Amino acid sequence: MADMVNILVDGTPIAVEKGTLVIEAARRLGIMIPHFCYHPKIKPDANCRMCLVEVEKMPKLQTSCSTLVAEGMAVRTNTAVVEEAHKSVLEFILANHPLDCPICDQGGRCDLQDFSHRYTPTKSDFLDVKRVFQKEYFSPLIDKEMNRCVQCLRCVRYCDEVIDAKALAPIGRGSRTEISHFTSHQLDCEFCGGCVQICPVGAFTNRLSDYEFRPWMMKRADTVCGYCGDGCTITLQSREDELIEVISSFEKGRNSGDLCARGYFGYQFVNHPDRLTMPLVRQPDGRFEPTTWEDVLPLLAERFTQVKLAYGSEAVGGLITSRGTNEDLYVFQKFMRLAIGSNHLDSAARFGHVNAVEAMRRVQGTNRWTVSYEDIVNADCLLLIGTQITWTNPIAGLKVKEAVKKHGAKLLTIEAMQPSIETTSNIANLSTTHLTVEVGRHPAAVHGLLKAVFDEGVADNHLAATASGYVDRTRAAVSALPYPEGMDEATLRTIARTFAGSRRGVILIGQDLLQSPGGYEASVNLMDLLLLLGKLSEKGWGLAPLTEENNEQGAIEMGATADYFPGAASLDDAAARTRIASAWKESPPVGAGMRMLDMLEAARSGKLKAMLIVGENPARTLPASAKPAEALGRLEFLVVQELFLTETAKLAHVVLPASSYAEKSGSFTNSEGCVQKVRAGLEPLGGSRPDWEILSAVSVLMGYPLEYGDAAEILKEIRAVIPGYRVLGATPEPARVDRPAMDRYVGGGFAEDMASRYRATSNITQDSSYPWSLWVGQSLFHSGKLSTMAKGLLEIQKEGRLYMNPADLQRMQLAEGEMVTLTSVAGEARVPVGALGRIPRGILFFPESFKEAIAGLLTMTPDAVTGVPYHKQQRVAVHKT
Amino acid sequence: MPHELILLKNMSQPGYTGSLADYERAGGYQAIRKVLGKMPPGDVTDLVKRSGLRGRGGAGFPTGVKWSFIPKDHPGPRYLCCNADESEPGTFKDRQLMERDPHQMIEGMIIASYAIGVRIAYIYIRGEFVMGAKILERALAEAYKAGYLGENILGTGFAVDIYVHRGAGAYICGEETALLESLEGKRGLPRTKPPFPATNGLFNKPTVVNNVETLANLPYIVNRGVEWFMAIGNPPKSTGTRVFCLSGHIKRPGNYEVPMGITFREMIYDIAGGMRGDKPLKAFIPGGASASFFTSQHLDVKMDFESVAQAGSMLGSGGVTVMEEGTCMVWAAENLLHFFNHESCGKCTPCREGSSWLLQILRRIEHGKGKMEDLGTLARLCPNIAGRTVCAFGDAEIAPILSTLQYFRDEYETHVREQRCPFRRAPAPDLIAVGHG
Ligand SMILES: Cc1cc2nc3c(=O)[nH]c(=O)nc-3n(C[C@H](O)[C@H](O)[C@H](O)COP(=O)(O)O)c2cc1C
Ligand code: SF4
Ligand code: SF4
Ligand code: SF4
Ligand code: SF4
Ligand code: FES
Repeated sequence: MADMVNILVDGTPIAVEKGTLVIEAARRLGIMIPHFCYHPKIKPDANCRMCLVEVEKMPKLQTSCSTLVAEGMAVRTNTAVVEEAHKSVLEFILANHPLDCPICDQGGRCDLQDFSHRYTPTKSDFLDVKRVFQKEYFSPLIDKEMNRCVQCLRCVRYCDEVIDAKALAPIGRGSRTEISHFTSHQLDCEFCGGCVQICPVGAFTNRLSDYEFRPWMMKRADTVCGYCGDGCTITLQSREDELIEVISSFEKGRNSGDLCARGYFGYQFVNHPDRLTMPLVRQPDGRFEPTTWEDVLPLLAERFTQVKLAYGSEAVGGLITSRGTNEDLYVFQKFMRLAIGSNHLDSAARFGHVNAVEAMRRVQGTNRWTVSYEDIVNADCLLLIGTQITWTNPIAGLKVKEAVKKHGAKLLTIEAMQPSIETTSNIANLSTTHLTVEVGRHPAAVHGLLKAVFDEGVADNHLAATASGYVDRTRAAVSALPYPEGMDEATLRTIARTFAGSRRGVILIGQDLLQSPGGYEASVNLMDLLLLLGKLSEKGWGLAPLTEENNEQGAIEMGATADYFPGAASLDDAAARTRIASAWKESPPVGAGMRMLDMLEAARSGKLKAMLIVGENPARTLPASAKPAEALGRLEFLVVQELFLTETAKLAHVVLPASSYAEKSGSFTNSEGCVQKVRAGLEPLGGSRPDWEILSAVSVLMGYPLEYGDAAEILKEIRAVIPGYRVLGATPEPARVDRPAMDRYVGGGFAEDMASRYRATSNITQDSSYPWSLWVGQSLFHSGKLSTMAKGLLEIQKEGRLYMNPADLQRMQLAEGEMVTLTSVAGEARVPVGALGRIPRGILFFPESFKEAIAGLLTMTPDAVTGVPYHKQQRVAVHKT
Repeated sequence: MPHELILLKNMSQPGYTGSLADYERAGGYQAIRKVLGKMPPGDVTDLVKRSGLRGRGGAGFPTGVKWSFIPKDHPGPRYLCCNADESEPGTFKDRQLMERDPHQMIEGMIIASYAIGVRIAYIYIRGEFVMGAKILERALAEAYKAGYLGENILGTGFAVDIYVHRGAGAYICGEETALLESLEGKRGLPRTKPPFPATNGLFNKPTVVNNVETLANLPYIVNRGVEWFMAIGNPPKSTGTRVFCLSGHIKRPGNYEVPMGITFREMIYDIAGGMRGDKPLKAFIPGGASASFFTSQHLDVKMDFESVAQAGSMLGSGGVTVMEEGTCMVWAAENLLHFFNHESCGKCTPCREGSSWLLQILRRIEHGKGKMEDLGTLARLCPNIAGRTVCAFGDAEIAPILSTLQYFRDEYETHVREQRCPFRRAPAPDLIAVGHG
């Protein structure tokens, strides 16, 4: 038990841990001490003086937000003197406050309003002229009304301490103090919305919803963000079925109230006017004709049945986004396997996450992390490899920042972006040791790390004794490799040594590693690293692959990939087959499933005749050189369930309007394997329907009724079929390493592909015709296809720019915004350029959400083992014309 | 009874330039020879403790005691900062001490650094003191050249480096924790205490902040001994001399070094030549702008820490501002509040909002637009600031108001009753809002 301290608050005794603040101790007794500047997320600053209390034996009143409890301390929060002090501080604050509550968006949920109501008389002695700040344009997304500001600096401190963006600062002195930004024209920052959320008054507000609502008129629903795999709890606030704003409470969720730009400002795609609201059926003349569900459902059943009868079930394939709920994904794969009778199905987890899951299954026998966010926060060493974490998984990034900034953890980064100070945070700036590695060469860096483990002599002796075969052969394989070209040996050794020497370490990997060639093997090799250090099965240690889409983990666990049944069991796992057959009362089809690229190839060759595509857009996602549209165009029957008329939907015979995450119930499984409830905040838009409902209806008409009354019923079945879904909740007990699986791996399983896993990777390719390395990746403000339909995010980033190091820009004598022509072996593209200091020289970065602009440039190589299509890097030439 | 000068002695010699050679000729840099390597650092702290030396920056905290708060076994660096931010209206002694005899203070800093185990020390100098900064830089260069600074000083193995850091024009940066923030490159805002600088100071390391004059005393205490120092002034609580800064309606304004314990009457009338134009004295500020006003009835109060405190004000930074009959006390308070409102850093609510509110009320009263209720509001608001702020600035800004209200309430009432300033001939100009001042 931690040291406990006994204190009295208003006469009531309470024991709290040493180091607790008085204001927190009081809160535990249900005593709310009024406060503005205090917030549990940030360090006490004690500037507002609102929280004054009496402490016995202290002559002056003390600020309870900065006073630590001490044994025997007697605190009084409700004496006449204290009440008088509260009144007086409020009187001072209100002296200059405009009291424009009737038009303030904070009205109704404002701390100043609430405390004023509680403490001040209605009359003020202030007879003079109130200070007035001229209204000025602040930013496209955040509105600033400084006359309402109580100068508590919560926003400034949050932006610095939690986000590490340091975008805000107070300027001016005394009552002329105002909060401002550093950049010259308007705020340029991460737009996480945290400053708006943490502001106790209406000084910072969301411009997207300015003057749109009164808080008490809104309907609220707690749900989970539909963008990335971090799984942030959000509250949808709507009025008359329009989504007005998204907020997150500081006490709630895996994100404890923090959000990123996508979560906070990216919600307006939900009410976008282009949303599909009726089923569309292609007419003989090629046009789409809107129709009703009554008409379209029988048509679907009939056409699928026809294809099945004519060509067999094997001629039908399915592809689903991993943005759907577990319930959607589960019903999708069940529909494909039972109603259609085909194992040819896949999901967007194929774009990379399968690499990580396959590696985890193989080495540690789990399909999930063996660590949680708490383990990241409590680690004393974190190793980030190819994560680009702040842009791809911002909240997981905050956990890393918290570990480093609050608890002093060591941060080791092997990342594609270099340290540099800009208007958004850069995780590499917090690194203890950093190595900049071009995308595609992270697997080589992992080789280097393993080599360093042996060269530094930090491998676990116990393992060497008990599994000498494994250790010796790995050592031999690794020692035969040179340190990768262009990577500093000393840095790699420092990273290996530091990580090995820590108390609790977590390795985080992300898209740059998992979505590039060698992604699967590098994941296995990183587990070798953990094994060799003797840490793989230690508590608090583990590998944490981050997921790009919100439910990639769920997609795999629901069985919505070609490789696995529900529960991520192999198709040839007899026990799993039996279990599923008994739950389904029908046996799933036998035979291997085709993966995404295989299906497209089969469509091209005419083997596949029909496809059901749910929320995926291969016609846009895959590079033009892979000719996805051509393949899909050959299908006899293509059905697409979508929110918008995407490139793929345009090729379909039938397009079905799907509901967005804001309009449906169910569950998502985040990166760490936490299964969280999704709650509808809005009625389905127009005639749109949740994906599972559509499939369920078709199945009935096809004679294979997959009938469910609601999402909860599906979850009930999921729970029966899939281990790990019995517990729904915010703090999952992370999976444990499966000993027998690990022993199998160490005992010989490792050897299967030893040679290829530790094959020297090709050296840096020097191609004088294509001297630049272009890397297409996720940016902070966009993810996938929906974000570019969100007005707020488009306000910050409306187009794709080709980012390069400012020095390169200068060398090329290019100005920001100028157009350049890019050429590659596959084709060419014209795009505007932008400068970004964190991009290393010689590298180009292009945000993938706008990749239609460069679709012609990219080529694709599939992973030999996992079939992941790699298409995120390309050698290109830049022409200034 | 003129007393021997100590701190101002060298510079009072004809032809004294403050150069290293001059300072050495006058006996300078002898004290460090007695201390470095000769006395255990703890003994130096002890010596300063026994001398009774108290801080000359404002709060009058016993210097040796402050040093002894530095954790003895703290690993890693600790710092000394010389507070040369002197910005208090009516206080101008540090400037003279630095500009005219910089080595005296530098030698003091070496002694202090030795006593508390400091490797790097800073002089935080007010931004406007451009010449002072140049002089200090030159003096430091001389001292480095002579081997009094840097590595292995005088072959004793002791090392210390001193850097000059110029402020950027905020009064609040004289407050020691704001000074530290500013020195760290941040916005100069006072920190909430505890923790105190002795444990969590510059860059979160144990730190001592001492005033220029405090440090300048050290070589003399070392050279001439504790007994000598203890005999000067009004021991045991107020030992040594103080350099008082006399200004206002007097014949000979300027810096005067006297032993603590003489009376204000002696100071003003005998030493500073009495009142300008021989008008009667109406009021004076005994210890810088942050101190409560005194009136003619306080002329026999002794100029030492205890006596001034007992009489209801403070010796503060040693600035004595004298006002003659005919000076409007409301105007005087308004004038000071103008300063305080301008300089309030804005970090904490009572001071930030209070200073502008108080100023607006005073302005209205002075300009003939006051109401009787305003006097009550002033009297009510001031105690709501006192003791409830982050730093002592809040206590300072209310001192002029409460003391003038106490001694000159009738003057306030006349302003309100007559809706004009009784001391002003010209009509009041239009009021300007405090707003963007
Ligand atoms: C608002 C404010 C301004 C101050 N300005 C100065 C200053 O300009 N110079 C100074 O030496 N001390 C100043 N002080 C006092 C310092 O905080 C600190 O007490 C002093 O530097 C300690 O040195 P000493 O112990 O040698 O006096 C100020 C204090 C306050 C509250
Ligand atoms: S990054 Fe931007 S939105 Fe987030 S807290 Fe900082 S200023 Fe506010
Ligand atoms: S904008 Fe809001 S959070 Fe920031 S200082 Fe003002 S009141 Fe506090
Ligand atoms: S996109 Fe990811 S990090 Fe951002 S709010 Fe949504 S779940 Fe959280
Ligand atoms: S009392 Fe005044 S000067 Fe001191 S911290 Fe508060 S606002 Fe700043
Ligand atoms: S909440 Fe304690 S001072 Fe602001």
